[in-house]
Amino acid sequence: MKKVEAIIKPFKLDDVKESLSALGVKGLTVTEVKGFGRQRGHREVYRGAEYQVDFVSKIKIEVVMEDELVSDAVRVIQEKAKTGQIGDGKIFIIPVENAIRIRTGESGKDAI
Amino acid sequence: MTSPSDELKNARSELISLFSTGEGSETLQENYAEIVDYYFRRSVQESETGQELFRDKKPFALVAVGGYGRKDLCIHSDIDVLILFDSKVPSSAKKLAEDIFYPLWNMGLDLGHGIRSIKDCLTLGSEKLEALTSMLDARFICGESPLYLALMERLGKRVLPKKGLAFSRWLEEQNQIRMAVFGDASDLLEPNIKEGIGGLRDYHHLLWLAKAFFRLRTPKDLEYSGILSHKEYQDLESHLKFIHLVRNHLHQGSGRKNDRLTFDYQERIAQSLAFKDQDGLLAVEQFLSQLHASMAWIKSLHRSFVFTHFPGSRRNGTGSGQPESLPAPFHMEQGEIHFHSATAILHDPLLLLDIFVEAAKAGRPLSLESKRLVREFLYLVDDSFRMSKRAACGFLSILNGSNAFEALDQMLETGFLCSFIPEFEPVKDRVQFDHYHLFPVGRHLLQTVRHLKTLQQERDILLTDIFLDLRDAEPLFLAALFHDIGKTGKDHARKGALLIRNILKRFGYDRKKTEHVHFLIQHHLLLAETATRRDLNDEKIVVQCARVVGTIERLKMLYLLSWADGRATGPRAWNDWVANLVLELFFKILHILERGELATPDASRRVRQSLQQVRGRIGDLLSPADGEAIFDGMPPNYLIETSPRAIARHVTLFESLREAMVKGPESAFCLEAEAEPASGTYEVTFLANDRAGLFSDVAGVMALNNINILSARIYTWRNGTAVDIFTVTPPLDPIRTEEIWEKIKGDLAETFQGKLPLSDRLQQKAKPTLLSRKRTLTRQTQVTVDNESSDFFTLIEVFTDDRIGLLYQITHTLFTLGIDIRIAKIATKADQVADVFYVLDLEGQKVLEEEKVKRIRDVLVRVLSTN
Repeated sequence: MKKVEAIIKPFKLDDVKESLSALGVKGLTVTEVKGFGRQRGHREVYRGAEYQVDFVSKIKIEVVMEDELVSDAVRVIQEKAKTGQIGDGKIFIIPVENAIRIRTGESGKDAI
Repeated sequence: MTSPSDELKNARSELISLFSTGEGSETLQENYAEIVDYYFRRSVQESETGQELFRDKKPFALVAVGGYGRKDLCIHSDIDVLILFDSKVPSSAKKLAEDIFYPLWNMGLDLGHGIRSIKDCLTLGSEKLEALTSMLDARFICGESPLYLALMERLGKRVLPKKGLAFSRWLEEQNQIRMAVFGDASDLLEPNIKEGIGGLRDYHHLLWLAKAFFRLRTPKDLEYSGILSHKEYQDLESHLKFIHLVRNHLHQGSGRKNDRLTFDYQERIAQSLAFKDQDGLLAVEQFLSQLHASMAWIKSLHRSFVFTHFPGSRRNGTGSGQPESLPAPFHMEQGEIHFHSATAILHDPLLLLDIFVEAAKAGRPLSLESKRLVREFLYLVDDSFRMSKRAACGFLSILNGSNAFEALDQMLETGFLCSFIPEFEPVKDRVQFDHYHLFPVGRHLLQTVRHLKTLQQERDILLTDIFLDLRDAEPLFLAALFHDIGKTGKDHARKGALLIRNILKRFGYDRKKTEHVHFLIQHHLLLAETATRRDLNDEKIVVQCARVVGTIERLKMLYLLSWADGRATGPRAWNDWVANLVLELFFKILHILERGELATPDASRRVRQSLQQVRGRIGDLLSPADGEAIFDGMPPNYLIETSPRAIARHVTLFESLREAMVKGPESAFCLEAEAEPASGTYEVTFLANDRAGLFSDVAGVMALNNINILSARIYTWRNGTAVDIFTVTPPLDPIRTEEIWEKIKGDLAETFQGKLPLSDRLQQKAKPTLLSRKRTLTRQTQVTVDNESSDFFTLIEVFTDDRIGLLYQITHTLFTLGIDIRIAKIATKADQVADVFYVLDLEGQKVLEEEKVKRIRDVLVRVLSTN
């Protein structure tokens, strides 16, 4: 079981979400996040005064899935979230030890 | 015979089931209080202990307090009762309480009770003001009535005179706490209909103050004593009736004492109250509108009452009651503004607006009586009123002043705003049933103005800087107040923009400023929508926005409007995350507008016209959809810098390229050379699928064939096609030009197929021969790497001496450094070149790492300085 975590551009959320559902992903978590990557915080100058802009707003999606799905999921996220411009984001794959559905107590792959 | 408690149980469930059918629903509270009264009378009578107490000359009275005392018992309200003894509470009182209270607890009713002597009550009342309020509502149920009368008399004589001031202050404090905890219920979409401001508690406060200070006994006395007019009392009753009805439905629906009207109950209650979807408004939206209107009315009544009768309790009030000087038809009394006389209004109806102008200037409210007069004379606000110059000036002075929100608030409350600007009426109470909009439209518009007025208190100093920088903020305030005025259906921004023209025309408003307001309203969603739904790293998107906005002044106003609008909508519409995106877009548009060329109104017009001509030229070469997709992918500077004729030719070439690509996408290209007799140069157009190093290959092949590139513009369409336009010196041999161009094409094909070692061949060629002149550098090579000028690209500028092969040297070096050239502007002037390259790294990112920037600079300077 793996967790696929992707930081993407906000306007790409719908595309990514749809293609993941089409792939058979059953649920995902979406968070509005702020951060920086290579394009660190920068200074904007307005009328001679400087304003520090530290973070960029992005969307984080998290999906836990069975191992077999991972490569397809990564592929569609990459396909859909790519614009070729700056700041397209990143995908992380993290091993997950177990999952438990709170309501029923099911665990493992039944719980995702 | 059934026991008193069974009887109560039956009567209560009968009452509730009757309520469910909609019958007797308006008198439920009173009926319920009466059946509870009946229970107490019977249970006291049937209680042995009770009868013993009377026999033992230890009489008592049963007194209803709190809401039960007022006969305001909703389905799950607490029932508060007091067993009152004269001087001492006998020990058997406990047994009495068991007899009459236990059955109620067993039934699951929420019962609050006290067993006290009159003295206990008075002590408690002076110590705990909350207990005092509950006793102010006391009502005799049964037992020894003189005890009740004695309590009330002593309360009035001993406690209230001493505690009066503290009491009214305490209520004011309670108001502030309520505002902080529950908010303004007349504004909120999930209001607490009891505790929120404008909720039932406002009415209770009013009643307690009236009872404590004017010795009123029943609500009806509010009218009999002249505190409220007949009409006001009638209105009060009907609003209360409605809110109580809602509260009963809410209690019934949630099965408990719940006063917060959350989303999950709203639709159901709207249905129970027989609201129907109509005129594009959902039943639930109409229901909420009416509820808000009722609560706003109660809030306003309470506020005026407190203001009029308890000026001392206001925190900011003068309280001195000293009249201040005001223009003739008005005067100030106890910090409130009054009309001198009602007849003055008849002679000069514009006083109805002037009083708000004075109120805004002085930062003081209208008195209750003045508001009454405004309401009564609203019929005087006719077309000639609305079109008068004085009215327009007055209105604008209110809007521009620092108390605009407070004045507009009272204008809305009295109905004046909707009379003066009838376009406001249809949206005033409009509620959107979603989790996004926190306020009805009318309130939202006022809140937007309020945010702009208090903007300088924000921590974000950029807002203040932008605001102070505006040449004229008036269009912004007008747009803030009216931006959602078209919210009577779809496409509200466009509709609102049409409506504002009428309004401002009536005002005789300045033409140019009208255009600003019109623009702001029509595009008030542009920044927020683009920021959250489009790619801010796509230059074209930002340029399109910049073209819509047009000028920096408008951008500043639009940014402030977006901010205020978002803040006034609710936390889901505006939070740090959204603000961050909008700010990013603001700066990107600002940079484009500051640099000018791409986004001037002239530029957008030129691009439109140019594309129109291109469409004409290419005819039906492409399907319309295919054509538009290609146009859409053309970068902004390409569209501006290229003639329609050339664009059409590029599109035609692109079609041939597409065919060639079927055979071999890697090596496919198109090249056309056209003589420019006037300047003795050639224009070469080159198209291929873009890849890193492509430009350098083309430059290299040109150099190999002794063609000097004088200027070049290279672009990349979004579909990945590189379009390069070169101005070059003609081939050396004027007779064999055609042949040479063919050779160049051949060399290009071989290079692309990897058969021609370009680099080696050029090195050989560069070896000095006896014939070649020794080159002397006239000026030092300069390379700058600039990440500031564009939000989308890193700019590399090279200044050096011109020579054949130079462009190849530069571009090849960049290629080996892992730099992708997206746009290039090559210019030669008297043996000197000034080249600008718009580049990204191979991952499509700007080159930001300092090390890499330094390396690019160093390597380029070294390569170009060695001969």
